[in-house]
Amino acid sequence: MFCSKKKLLEAERIVKANDREYNEKFQYADNCIHTSKYNLLTFLPINLFEQFQRVANAYFLFLLILQLIPEISSLTWFTTFVPLVLVITMTAVKDATDDYFRHKSDDQVNNRQSEVLIDGKLQNEKWMNVKVGDIIKLENNQFVAADLLLLSSSEPHGLCYIETAELDGETNLKVRHALSVTSELGADISRLAKFDGPDTKLMQNSGKTKFKRTSIDRLMNTLVLWIFGFLVCLGIILAIGNSIWENQVGDKFRAFVFWKEGEKNSVFSGFLTFWSYIIILNTVVPISLYVSVEVIRLGHSYFINWDRKMYYSLKATPAEARTTTLNEELGQINYVFSDKTGTLTQNIMTFKRCSINGRIYGEVHDDLGQKTDITKKKEPVDFSVNPQADRTFEFFDHRLMESIKLGDPKVHEFLRLLALCHTVMSEENSAGQLVYQVQSPDEGALVTAARNFGFIFKSRTPETITIEELGTLVTYQLLAFLDFNNIRKRMSVIVRNPEGQIKLYCKGADTILFEKLHPSNENLLTLTSDHLSEFAGEGLRTLAIAYRDLDDKYFKEWHKMLEDANTTTDERDERVAGLYEEIERDLMLLGATAVEDKLQEGVIETVTNLSLANIKIWVLTGDKQETAINIGYACNMLTDDMSDMFIIAGNTVAEVREEVRKAKENLFGQNRTFSNGHVVFEKKEQLEMNSVVQETVTGDYALVINGHSLAHALESDIKNDLLELACMCKTVVCCRVTPLQKAQVVELVKNHRNAVTLAIGDGANDVSMIKSAHIGVGISGQEGLQAVLASDYSFAQFRYLQRLLLVHGRWSYFRMCKFLCYFFYKNFAFTLVHFWFGFFCGFSAQTVYDQWFITLFNIVYTSLPVLAMGIFDQDVNDQNSMDYPQLYEPGQLNLLFNKRRFLICMAHGIYTSLALFFIPFGTFYNMAGEDGQHIADYQSFAVIIATSLVIVVSVQIALDTSYWTVINHVFIWGSIATYFSILFTMHSNGIFGIFPNQFPFVGNARHSLTQKCIWLVILLTTVASAMPVVAFRFLRVALFPTLSDQIRQWQKAQKKARPLHRRRPQTRRSSSRRSGYAFAHQEGYGELITSGKNMRAKNPPPASGLEKTLYNSTSWIENLCKKTTDTVSSFSQDKTVKL
Amino acid sequence: MKRTPQGCQSRLPDNTALKQQQLPAYRLQLSATGVLSGFFATGVFCLGVGIILILSAKSIKEIEINYTKICANCAKLRENAVDFDKECTCSIPFHIPETMQGNVYMYYKLYGFYQNLYGYILSRSNSQLLGTDVKDVGSCAPFRESHNGTPIAPCGAIANSIFNDTIILSYNLNSSIHIKVPMLRSGITWWTDKYVKFRNPSSNNLSSAFAGTTKPPYWPKPVYELDEEDPGNNGFINDDFIVWMRTAAFPTFKKLYRRLSRTQRFIEGLPAGNYSFNITYNFPVTRFRGEKSVVLSTLTWSGGRSLFLGLAYTVTGAVTWLATFSMMAAHLMLKERKMFFSQQ
Repeated sequence: MFCSKKKLLEAERIVKANDREYNEKFQYADNCIHTSKYNLLTFLPINLFEQFQRVANAYFLFLLILQLIPEISSLTWFTTFVPLVLVITMTAVKDATDDYFRHKSDDQVNNRQSEVLIDGKLQNEKWMNVKVGDIIKLENNQFVAADLLLLSSSEPHGLCYIETAELDGETNLKVRHALSVTSELGADISRLAKFDGPDTKLMQNSGKTKFKRTSIDRLMNTLVLWIFGFLVCLGIILAIGNSIWENQVGDKFRAFVFWKEGEKNSVFSGFLTFWSYIIILNTVVPISLYVSVEVIRLGHSYFINWDRKMYYSLKATPAEARTTTLNEELGQINYVFSDKTGTLTQNIMTFKRCSINGRIYGEVHDDLGQKTDITKKKEPVDFSVNPQADRTFEFFDHRLMESIKLGDPKVHEFLRLLALCHTVMSEENSAGQLVYQVQSPDEGALVTAARNFGFIFKSRTPETITIEELGTLVTYQLLAFLDFNNIRKRMSVIVRNPEGQIKLYCKGADTILFEKLHPSNENLLTLTSDHLSEFAGEGLRTLAIAYRDLDDKYFKEWHKMLEDANTTTDERDERVAGLYEEIERDLMLLGATAVEDKLQEGVIETVTNLSLANIKIWVLTGDKQETAINIGYACNMLTDDMSDMFIIAGNTVAEVREEVRKAKENLFGQNRTFSNGHVVFEKKEQLEMNSVVQETVTGDYALVINGHSLAHALESDIKNDLLELACMCKTVVCCRVTPLQKAQVVELVKNHRNAVTLAIGDGANDVSMIKSAHIGVGISGQEGLQAVLASDYSFAQFRYLQRLLLVHGRWSYFRMCKFLCYFFYKNFAFTLVHFWFGFFCGFSAQTVYDQWFITLFNIVYTSLPVLAMGIFDQDVNDQNSMDYPQLYEPGQLNLLFNKRRFLICMAHGIYTSLALFFIPFGTFYNMAGEDGQHIADYQSFAVIIATSLVIVVSVQIALDTSYWTVINHVFIWGSIATYFSILFTMHSNGIFGIFPNQFPFVGNARHSLTQKCIWLVILLTTVASAMPVVAFRFLRVALFPTLSDQIRQWQKAQKKARPLHRRRPQTRRSSSRRSGYAFAHQEGYGELITSGKNMRAKNPPPASGLEKTLYNSTSWIENLCKKTTDTVSSFSQDKTVKL
Repeated sequence: MKRTPQGCQSRLPDNTALKQQQLPAYRLQLSATGVLSGFFATGVFCLGVGIILILSAKSIKEIEINYTKICANCAKLRENAVDFDKECTCSIPFHIPETMQGNVYMYYKLYGFYQNLYGYILSRSNSQLLGTDVKDVGSCAPFRESHNGTPIAPCGAIANSIFNDTIILSYNLNSSIHIKVPMLRSGITWWTDKYVKFRNPSSNNLSSAFAGTTKPPYWPKPVYELDEEDPGNNGFINDDFIVWMRTAAFPTFKKLYRRLSRTQRFIEGLPAGNYSFNITYNFPVTRFRGEKSVVLSTLTWSGGRSLFLGLAYTVTGAVTWLATFSMMAAHLMLKERKMFFSQQ
């Protein structure tokens, strides 16, 4: 037995099944999965190496080395060493924990059990020990942890149903077929291991995830570069100052105090000073910045994980922040790209309403006879009399049940049609319950509805369909199956009932079906048409239902022609289609069905709210255009009061270009009517010049584009035009797009607009999009994991997106910006004092503060309050954040932290450093203490400035903190207390006695801090630094209040009163548009049914067919594949009518 | 469908105030009344403190005599390092117009002496000064050891460059009677410096305790002979030495030299009259273009004379008030505007 498969590196792989010795020669990879990075031994070196690859860490290492050079060392080594070690340790601990979990999950996968044929016996073996070429026996519901070749299965014809959720996220069962040669080998599923471990499809596809960074990150890096530039400038100024000083004063003075060693070349001295000052001033970018940012993000991620309001109890799924480094980006989203199925919709279809013979069912009338919405309060129809009824099905109109009981023939015929005309397969599960295997959920809904109303589809063979009609079993002979395809947009069955009547049952898109009706249906048609419009207005998917009585002779003639057509080779499809067309006419209309493609809960509100927050939502779906538009209407993204909806469905580049051009003309043309001609002309010129246009277009527009056109557009120069057009539309729907195109669309917006994008999806087809967007969100709770695995955030319901963005994202952004502002301010204030001091100490790189203070300032004295603010601060509470989506806009416009803000923070820091230095300087320059002693000695001065600094920055954080929780109190007061206790400890006699050289400040705190004038200086410094801030803030709030300020004020006023719960009126859409045949239907299943290939062996196919089946067993798969591709290509011809 | 799978219940996040971000908190809000009254009060406080500080600074009597150039001949002599052992004295007569009431302090003040240079501040050995190991010259470069390798005690540039002028104040009753004003050299250092930071090596005889060390090159006498009058004031615990070792933060500084012993005639302070400073001019400031002066000053509750702090407080208070009024104006204007809007 040989098996080969093409692979990138090896052209061919020849494996002898069940021959380990032979296969070992090729040294294929084993089946052990390693996703972990380290083991115990390699952890330290690899991790350290990785960490020092980061620019920041390398920079600080460089500084540390500089500090070890005695000529330029101006700070002792521990000022950099202690924080660096702390930072590296924290990161290492985090990496180690991450890797530990990876080890655990690897172990779990590797230790799953499998049954392997070894030495002629089936033996239990761990998956990790499975080798290439092993034969494996799999049973139902077992995990597969390698790429396998199906040899045979217990199913007829070697069919096997697999779920590929872990591979592509799709949870529906896929059919795989064994080679006919091998299919008769065994009763159970047995498979041959083909690719193992790292070679498997999954591992090959997993790829290295791109490292995502937030825009704040990028800004921060730019700013850090700016700061380095600034630092170098300061260094140069001070170095020049030093050279001049050395030249003018220093040479004499040094000669006096240092003797010969004092003689230095002034230029060289300046050069050394430069480096010394680089070391001293490096605290402008403290090491703790990066760590603090990470800690804050981690905190925010935990808040997301902990949020009960994002916990989906039905699936027991909490929200999860899988990436902890992107949180603040959630507050800056401009574009949301959403998948449809499983994300916006539940992929659950429910039979909602129907119109039978001109009468609507499924509407609930209240006492006044007014139509009301179907609510849970109403009593659902009781199906308990029907033992076969599906318990989950609910219907609220009792009249339909009554009509059935009264024996209305049209109603019966309607339900019979639903039970007969479909591609559903039935099965009985172990409990004896009827279970339907549906290929399209729409059909499932219809068949289930019929089942509940007493027309139960029981079983089928290729020739018969058995249904139970109100308790009696009736078997219909299936004479022909007129399959669905995209051009026909309908399907029919021709059956002979036990009475011998031949009937054609047809269901399909109303637009198509209505043309095929018998003229006598005219009245019913108008009535049904009205009903259809009504259904469509509610966003339901509609189907028209019709039948035709056929007489025996006519059918036989037709059937013969069909068989002839089927046997011919040339133009077979055309001839068959013509025959189908021929028989599906003069239909008698029965009515229409309306199926709800159930939206996820709260989708409409979420979409509305996100739109109010100025977030543009694009739907990218693999579905058909009509389905997509339908959903667009259902979730209020498309409305009837939109000015226009552009549909781009061209087949060629030229067509697409023309359509885009027309759409743009339309867009700007209408604009032109609102403004002066020449102004618009100028505007248009600008438009063409500038690819990023912030144009306000009057009226709402929508754009619908299909995958084919998109492919053309993305590859050509239309790209920018399309993007421009799309960005001006309120809603963009891309349908029939491939996963790759989804990613391309995201990339397009990401690269050409300076915008932050978020992609949300649930399936494997969304993975590429999720990976390429700035932020990827996966819908979790489904069985497929791929989207979640690729995502940065995951939760169970689309509606949680609202909370994620408007509450968590906004807060994160708000907090991070405040944090950064404060952090830069703090360090400028802290560090620049050295600069001012340089002018008074001969530019000798003498620090102002004690070395210990420099070491501890950022990591002990001031880290916790700002962390607490960065983690806990809120401007407005979560409810108000949700109620006023406009609050989200500052994030999108980057208002809270940008270069301008940074410069303000910097100026603020510089101002504070000036106050910190010059107030004590002015005071003590020529002053004596209370005891007459010299007060401005270096050590006292250091203590005074350090104390003022700690108090000033604490006051500043107190002003910045807008949400004072207990934690903030503890941290702020605690930091000040810590400062004083450490100060007094380090200045105590005891510690000096032990380490006289390390702690020379003995007695300083005691002496300085008991002097009145020193406290007066500290007080004045604090007042002078805090007052301007308070004044500016007060004036800003008074003169230019932001929305946030107003809401805060309002919030405060409302604190006592009951919180007003704002309910936005639920806008009821009144849409006149119809869905076409918006079914998720695939062609080819008809053939599967009539050939009987997907049927169990217990319904044995006719003996005559067996040979044929075997012979054809691969060909039908090929057929199916071919048809599927045809389907896709046929869409391009599918000229869409503007609806 | 409705029931939650068993065992998964634990995935429901805890309903704690912390985890749900619902911690009870005070929302800081700058209210108009709070800010304005705060500003007003701060203004009052600053102005008050400022005026008090200015008034008390004005009450301080201070006399400063720069004697760099007055003793020109000595200055010239000291320019040349070779003549370091030649003694040079000069007398500077001056007049105190008003009695200096209360405690009077005498300072020496240096201009252009950078005690805050990075290398300078480091050039000392705290462990040596602690007396535990007199030969520990740690980071004292360039004055660690003498040419022959003997450790210097006290080592380092700070100790070496000690201010070594002697200043004697005499009260000239008339041209013939000169009374030496009694001065105390005690109490001019911090208690911690004198009793914790600076300790002599434990030994009966100081000179033997410093055996094996040599004096700093600029010093005429070894450390154990700094004070000939008071043997208890010798070695590392010499007050002048300790004062010098507490390095100044700025290149211009004044250090306490002596304080008036309020006895006899001087019980009230320094009476008005003619005085003179008799200075032994040793410290060669001209070699580094520095200057030196001697200062007599009284004190007030906040310490020595400094107008800066008082002025700074006054200015801050004034600015705060100005800000208060402009903010109030803005606030009232806005209030009117708001009411105007709400009426419409």
